[in-house]
Amino acid sequence: MGATITEKILARAAGVPSVRAGDNLPIRPDYMIAYDFPGYTDVMFRQMHDDFGIRELADPERYVVFIDHMLTREDAREQEVHQVTRDWCEFYGIALHEARGIGHQVMAELGYAQPGNFLIHFDGHISGAGAFGALGWGVRRDLLEAWVSGRIFLDVPATTRFELTGEFRPGVDSRDLVHRIIGDHGADGCAHQVMEFGGPGARAMPIDLRQGLCGMAMFTGAVSAVFEPDATSLEHARRVGGGHLVPQSPDADAEYHAVHHYDLSTIVPQVVLPGSARSANTRDAADLDGTAVTKAFIGSCASGRIEDIRAAALILDGRTVAPGVELNVVPTSDAVHRQAEDEGLLDVLRAAGAQVARSSCDFCFGYQKPLQPDENCISTGVLNISGRMGSTDANIYMGSASTVAASAVAGSITAADGVTGR
Amino acid sequence: MSAARNYPPPPDVIAGRVAWVFGDDFDIDLVIGVENIKSYDAEFLRSKVMQAYDPSFADRVRPGDVIVGGRNFGYGHPHYPPMVALRDLGIAAVIAESFSPGFWRGETYNGMPLITVAGITAAAGTGDDVRLDWRTATVALPGGRTLHGTPPSERVTRVIEAGGSLKLLLAEHART
Repeated sequence: MGATITEKILARAAGVPSVRAGDNLPIRPDYMIAYDFPGYTDVMFRQMHDDFGIRELADPERYVVFIDHMLTREDAREQEVHQVTRDWCEFYGIALHEARGIGHQVMAELGYAQPGNFLIHFDGHISGAGAFGALGWGVRRDLLEAWVSGRIFLDVPATTRFELTGEFRPGVDSRDLVHRIIGDHGADGCAHQVMEFGGPGARAMPIDLRQGLCGMAMFTGAVSAVFEPDATSLEHARRVGGGHLVPQSPDADAEYHAVHHYDLSTIVPQVVLPGSARSANTRDAADLDGTAVTKAFIGSCASGRIEDIRAAALILDGRTVAPGVELNVVPTSDAVHRQAEDEGLLDVLRAAGAQVARSSCDFCFGYQKPLQPDENCISTGVLNISGRMGSTDANIYMGSASTVAASAVAGSITAADGVTGR
Repeated sequence: MSAARNYPPPPDVIAGRVAWVFGDDFDIDLVIGVENIKSYDAEFLRSKVMQAYDPSFADRVRPGDVIVGGRNFGYGHPHYPPMVALRDLGIAAVIAESFSPGFWRGETYNGMPLITVAGITAAAGTGDDVRLDWRTATVALPGGRTLHGTPPSERVTRVIEAGGSLKLLLAEHART
């Protein structure tokens, strides 16, 4: 019996000839990543130093820290949090990437997410690395195990295979696909598994949309998601010049828990009702037509990339954001910001009335411009639980960048495919 | 993270009652309410725990009681204080049809026995006496009924025996 991408990546990282779903063994991640956040990195560094007595790291190059949260208030508290991180990273000789954008994007620009790599982070949205044929696994506090020992005990997950054909229609993208998958198979449809994407529809999908899709894997119950390496991801790998290129493709006789087929041309815009991304909250956007919104947000680690900004600009070009609506756009990284500026997209957005902010995670978790009670927001953020973006009495609807842009123009939730191409 | 409690490891057999039965896709934050998920203060958590479900919950729970969950227990964006609130009262294990991976990993780290037992929601009712042999995932219910679930892996068993991952890791890797 052959192996899935996940089984091959984990076998290689564990230094054994092969592993099978269900095995439990210590695995050596290529990179062990974190963003600095009070109660997480400061505690982990202190534990490593004070409780474990670790003064020097065996492989400091495997540790990566990003500063991407808490960048926008510019107060003493922020400086204090970040200075603690700077001091620890200097002490241990760890690479620190500060204020260059959202880490889950910057890791790709810097070559950490490469075909065949195994990455861990305490945050589950590291799964976005799957766009590049890497396996990114959010292990919560178990990151400490890897930080102090270099390895982490994991159950090798089973895989559900998604065979994709066709291409998205205008105004539809991978964000709609992931919510359709949750709608079809439930919030635990891929529980404790990895989603593996392949087929002509996967190969035709731009890397940005693969990142958005893989980054949301946790809401299907999956521990991660991964695309088969192909010309697109290998070309990206060559461009960013990573040194650990060991692409892994599945064997033809790989054993899957399930195989699902999706024709991308049949996907229609999806919107998720406030509360959570579970299937009972997933709707065709058209069914919510007319739900009034006052805030709209394009950004987060699952959106805000150049393809998302192009999609928004296509809709906003020559139109204006409705009176009483505030549309905030946060490019996923400084590099994306520059490219969007160079392509003239940000001028289009500004002319339509959008506000463009410097890249960070701050909007998505309610730190920057928090929502007020009783506001309705349509968002490309990763979470719509109560209180995520500010007041616990605000309502967060989630959709694609196209849907958010079209809704901002209309002042109410609007399926983007009806607006595009006017 | 810094304010978590230091709970001892569970006994070999957890004996108590079913304190509550939750449904599918249950978001653990609802145990204390989403507006309260940043506090680790013991008195505050006790005043909020399960208020939306049973205001007498904190008074009637005894150490050794367990909670029962449906499919995908812990779905959402789980924070730690809700389980701290339950463990402060003495809740000793969660038995569920299945667990959401993020919740499962976070609470396993904290040494909480999370035992997967298919059929538990149909078999168990609030107030039932229950005996849980967590290593074998064997649940004994009133009337001589016994359910067999999925035993934790060898590694997870060691984590629970140690009283959480941090204690196990310190025993394995501390250089001081």
